[in-house]
Amino acid sequence: MEKRKVRFEIYRYDPSKDTHPRYESYEVTVSKGMTVLEVLQFIKDNYAPDLSFRAYCRSAICGSCAVKINGYPKLACKTQVLREVEIYQTDTLRIEPLDNMKVIKDLIVDWDEPFEKLEKVKPYLVPNPEVVPDTLDKESRISPEQHKKYDRFTDCIMCTACYSACTAATYDENYAGPFQLARLYRFAVDPRDGIQEERARIGFLYDMWNCVRCEKCADICPKHVSPVNGVLGLRGIAVNSGDNTPGSRHVRAFYKSLLESGNLNEMLLPLRTKGIKGVLENLPLGIKLLLKGKVHSPVPKKIKDHDTLLKVMREVMEEENG
Amino acid sequence: MGRYAFFPGCAAKGVAKELYESSVEVFKALELDVVELEEFSCCGAGVLEEIKDELDLVVNARNLAYAEKYERDILTVCSTCLRVLLNTKRLLDEDEDLREKVNKVLKDVGLEYTGKADVKLFHWVLLEEFGEGLKDKVKRKLNLKVYPYYGCHTLRPSDTIRYEFSENPNSLEKLIEILGAEPVSGTRKLECCGFHAFWMAPKLSMKLTGLNLKDAKDNGADCIVTPCPLCHTNLDANQSRALKEINEFFEIPVLHVPQLVGLALGISEEKLGLKRNIVPFKTLGGVR
Repeated sequence: MEKRKVRFEIYRYDPSKDTHPRYESYEVTVSKGMTVLEVLQFIKDNYAPDLSFRAYCRSAICGSCAVKINGYPKLACKTQVLREVEIYQTDTLRIEPLDNMKVIKDLIVDWDEPFEKLEKVKPYLVPNPEVVPDTLDKESRISPEQHKKYDRFTDCIMCTACYSACTAATYDENYAGPFQLARLYRFAVDPRDGIQEERARIGFLYDMWNCVRCEKCADICPKHVSPVNGVLGLRGIAVNSGDNTPGSRHVRAFYKSLLESGNLNEMLLPLRTKGIKGVLENLPLGIKLLLKGKVHSPVPKKIKDHDTLLKVMREVMEEENG
Repeated sequence: MGRYAFFPGCAAKGVAKELYESSVEVFKALELDVVELEEFSCCGAGVLEEIKDELDLVVNARNLAYAEKYERDILTVCSTCLRVLLNTKRLLDEDEDLREKVNKVLKDVGLEYTGKADVKLFHWVLLEEFGEGLKDKVKRKLNLKVYPYYGCHTLRPSDTIRYEFSENPNSLEKLIEILGAEPVSGTRKLECCGFHAFWMAPKLSMKLTGLNLKDAKDNGADCIVTPCPLCHTNLDANQSRALKEINEFFEIPVLHVPQLVGLALGISEEKLGLKRNIVPFKTLGGVR
């Protein structure tokens, strides 16, 4: 069986004793199929009895063992060491606690912040009395098409890997976070929910428009939930409910440009997104671009066969929402 | 040699006009079979799916169907266009019901999506068509340390892009080395520039860009190169604003990938549109 010596640099920090975090190195002979969690347990059993990490189910369902492996948040129990060695072309793996949360000890982070944020988005069904019967004798039936809209998001195991990777969460304290917004969306499209319209407003309050579309949450989610798609769905609810905040206006600006010419009219984007404020904010940039001959004409040329674009766009917009 | 349909994207026609100019020059110099299809529309930059998933799908299935009609693969110079087009392609290729539904709409305008056309980014095509052989075409010595700034949609989501390991890519480093320059590494080369939140959260967007610029400078880069015109807009056109956000004041030139390739191939700076870059390229001393 394939075996290989791998060096593990493990983040060690006990805030009650240590002034600074440090990295301790351990060399472990790893055989094919061995997971990062098995290595952590081996190190704890043989070299460092005081090493702290979380691990419960060991089968990628409880979501407790997420750590950063060479900078990327992953479930330790699901991640095979030799595959990581192959991706990074290295014999050294660095194991660290997740980002965007305080460290309690070593690889254990404080989950209070992300879960307090989760509570704020009302992550539960608020039954709509018109849909949900008030007696247990009757069923509240969901069609397969309705179920498909939120099915994927119910796979979330709340491991907080996405929260750790989230660019917006790093720099915006008020940002709810990827799994939180995905959960919010999951109920917003549940036909049994009674506060669907309020849910898009909750998304707005917790900065859903600040998602930078870095797609890191989609990339690292161990359950392939792609939380960013929940964020986009929530934005869609806002756009389609006539919301007039810059986020929704920005989306409509693209739509209008496609209808008008087929290409984006960058020239009108500041005005269409943020009104006169957008124009003033970006005036210095606009002048720079103008001097370099890099602005679209305000009356853009239509693409060839623009009528085919109009026709397909109108056809899907006229379709009933399934 | 592949046959390609050029998908410049809206930015290369406006805010990053020099990207369009330099791409066309490189196509010519390398005698690539590339034709721009006038039927292509804006991909929607990923915001059409915020209106309705099906809208994003038909707009881009239409783009892909035109590429099929002319029997060409799409070659794009924008990472966001790449992500959006590939997202449509993956969804349609892997869901027969969805493909049928979309084709019903396309049929009314005489088009069909079958999945024949692939979607590739400019530097992928160069590596695929020439690989190390590109070295033989290099005419100018690039004595430059280049910071490869990938941009999110060049890599993520990896389920969609499927080109290289999104956590440890090396296509840009490979290209930079082939061109005779030296890639420098940095901790933020895979981080986000914040462009897609520029309108809604300018301070957040500028901070991210500022930090990325600083990482390039701290790692001793002479310039940054990026395959994405949206990243380029933040890194170049918004550079002074971004650096102000993190209290830094310096200048670092930012090149589009085709501009760097063009320089190595000996194409004139004028033809590569270098005078249109906001941070002047002339601050570089390394190109002989």
